[in-house]
Amino acid sequence: MGAVFEGKGEGKEMSALSNVIFWIAVIPGTIIAGLVASWIVRKVSALVQWRVGPPLCQPLYDVMKLMGKEILVPRDGQRTVFIAAPLVGLAGVLVLSMMLWRITAAQTAFVGDVIVAIYLMVLPSLALILGSSASASPHAAIGTGREMKLVMGYELPLVLAFIVVIIKTGGQLDLATIAQNAPVWSVSGMLAFLVSLLCVQAKLGFVPFDIAESETEVASGVIMEYSGALLAVWKVMQSTMLVALPLFLVMVFLGGFGVSSVGAVAAGIGKYVLVLVLLILIKNTNPRLRIDQAMRFFWVYCGIALVAAVVLAMIGDCYDIHWL
Amino acid sequence: MKQEELNNRLAEIRDKLIGIEQKPNRRIFLLCECENSYAVNKFLFEGLGLRFVIVTGIDSEDCFEILYHYANDETGCFVSIKAFIRDREHPEIESITPMLPAGEWIEREIHDILGIGFRNHPNMRRLILSDDWPEGVYPLRKEVKK
Amino acid sequence: MKALKKSVWVFHVNTGACNNCDIEIVNLLTPRFDVERLGIRLVGSPRHADALLVTGVGTRQAAKRLQEVYRQTAKPCVVFCMGACAGGTGIFEGAYHVAGPVDRIIKEVDPNAIIAYVPGCPPKPEAMISGVVKALAAI
Repeated sequence: MGAVFEGKGEGKEMSALSNVIFWIAVIPGTIIAGLVASWIVRKVSALVQWRVGPPLCQPLYDVMKLMGKEILVPRDGQRTVFIAAPLVGLAGVLVLSMMLWRITAAQTAFVGDVIVAIYLMVLPSLALILGSSASASPHAAIGTGREMKLVMGYELPLVLAFIVVIIKTGGQLDLATIAQNAPVWSVSGMLAFLVSLLCVQAKLGFVPFDIAESETEVASGVIMEYSGALLAVWKVMQSTMLVALPLFLVMVFLGGFGVSSVGAVAAGIGKYVLVLVLLILIKNTNPRLRIDQAMRFFWVYCGIALVAAVVLAMIGDCYDIHWL
Repeated sequence: MKQEELNNRLAEIRDKLIGIEQKPNRRIFLLCECENSYAVNKFLFEGLGLRFVIVTGIDSEDCFEILYHYANDETGCFVSIKAFIRDREHPEIESITPMLPAGEWIEREIHDILGIGFRNHPNMRRLILSDDWPEGVYPLRKEVKK
Repeated sequence: MKALKKSVWVFHVNTGACNNCDIEIVNLLTPRFDVERLGIRLVGSPRHADALLVTGVGTRQAAKRLQEVYRQTAKPCVVFCMGACAGGTGIFEGAYHVAGPVDRIIKEVDPNAIIAYVPGCPPKPEAMISGVVKALAAI
C-alpha cells in the first residue's frame, strides 16, 4: 500500500519515523475515533432531547460487555457466512479509513482512488446483507430485502454526486487534488453535497433511513440473530463508518483535512464535526421512512436534483462560471 | 330514538318475551327463552337500529343466561336481552354472527369459557384458552373447582 | 462482567399482563427518565439483551414462549420480574390460566437463573430504575 501511495505523490513526503507511527496507530486510532464519534452522536442526540446522555466511555463499555457474552449461532443458519460477514464489513471500513487517513496525512494519492473509495463504501452494506441472509430467520429476511432495496436506492445518487464534484474540479480522479478545492461553494456543489449527505445518512443506517435495522418494527431486522462478539464487530463497524464516511464527504466537498499546521488540523476537525452534527440533527428531527417512500425519495427527488446539478456543473465548466 | 318511542317500539316484540324489566339508571332487560333470542336480536339491531355493545354469559345454578347488550346512544339507555338456556347438559343457542359479524369472537370466547354451543357459527375455534388446555373443561362453570 | 454493570441492554417481554406495567416500562425509556446515562438501552431482539423485563403473570400460553425467549437471550443475563403479577401472580392467584409466577417458569429452564423482583402494581419508573441498579450492584 505504501508503494502505491508514493508512486504518484504530489505533496510533501513524510519522515520515516512519522511513517512508522502512522502505520502502527492508524487502525487502533480509527477504532477509538469511531467510539468517540458514536459517543458524540449519542450525547448530541441526548442534548437535543433535553436530557443528559451517556458518559464518554459508554460505547467502550458496550463493546466490552458484548465481548463477554456468548455467541449464539442459529441452527439453520449458514455458519461460515454468518461469522465471516461482520468481519468482512469491518475489514472494508478499516481499509477505507486507512486509505483516507493516508491521503490526509501524507497528502499523496493515486489516480482513481475515488472509485476505490466508492467501491469500498459498498462493502459494509454488502456484508450486512450477506450476514442477515445467513441468519435463517424471517425477521432477518425482511431486513435483508429492505437493506438491498435501500442500497439500490442510494448508490446511484451518491455516484452522481461524486461525478458532479469530479466535473467541478476539472476531471481529476485522485482525492488529494479534489481535496484542494471546496466545490460546495457553488450551486451544483451545494445540491450534490446535500444529496450525498442524505445518502451517507442512509448508508450509516440513521433515521430517517434506518429501515433495515428498525428496532421496533422487525426486532432489529438485519442484525437480529447476532449476539456477543459478532455483534460487537457490527457495532465497531458502524462506529468506524461514522469516522470514515463524513471524512470522505469533507475531503470531497468541503476542501479536505489539512495537516500542514495546527490551524489547518483544527479547521479539518471543525469541518468533520460540522458534517457529523448535521447528520445527528437530521437523525433527531425526522421519523423513519417506509422503504417505498425512501426509494421514491432517492430515485425521484434526489435523481432530479442531481441531474440538474450535473447539467449546471457542465455548463459552469464549459463557460467557466465558477459559482454554478 | 327518544325514550318514549323506544318503550313503544319494544312493546311490538312483547309476544316473544317472558317479561320486560325496567331497572333504574336507564337499563331495560328483555327476558326471553333461548329459542326466541335470534328474533329479538334481529328486532333490536335491524328493526330499531340500536348499537350492539357486547355479549356476556352467566352460569346461574339451574340455567345458563346469555345477555346481549345494545345501546341507544341518543338517550344513553342500555337495552339488554336476557336469554335463558334451560338445558344444562347440552346448552345451545342460535348464533347472531350471521347477522352481526362482530359477534364472532365474542361467541368463541363464551364457548371457550362456558361451553355453550352456538348454532350456525361460521368459525367456532378456540380463542382465548391456551393451546394445551384440555377439551371439554370449561373454566368459568360453577362446578369446575380447579 | 464488570462492563455488564455499566451497559445493560433490555428487552421487554409481556407474558399476559394487563398492560399497566408495560406502559410504565415504556415510560421508563422516554427521555424524561433518561436511562441512557446508566447505559440502559431498549433493544429489539432478545439475542442482544442483557436483561429481560418480564411483566405479567405467566399464562399457560405464554409460558413456553417465555422459556424460548430466555433460551435465546445471550448469557449472562438477568431476568427482572416487574410488578406484583410477575413477582408472584398478584391478583390472579389460583386462576385457571396461570402457569405459575415468572420465576417458576424461568427456573424450569435454568435453575441458576439470576432473577430480580421489582414489586408494585404497577411499579413506578423510579422504582424500576432503583431495582435495576441494585440488582446490578449485587451481581
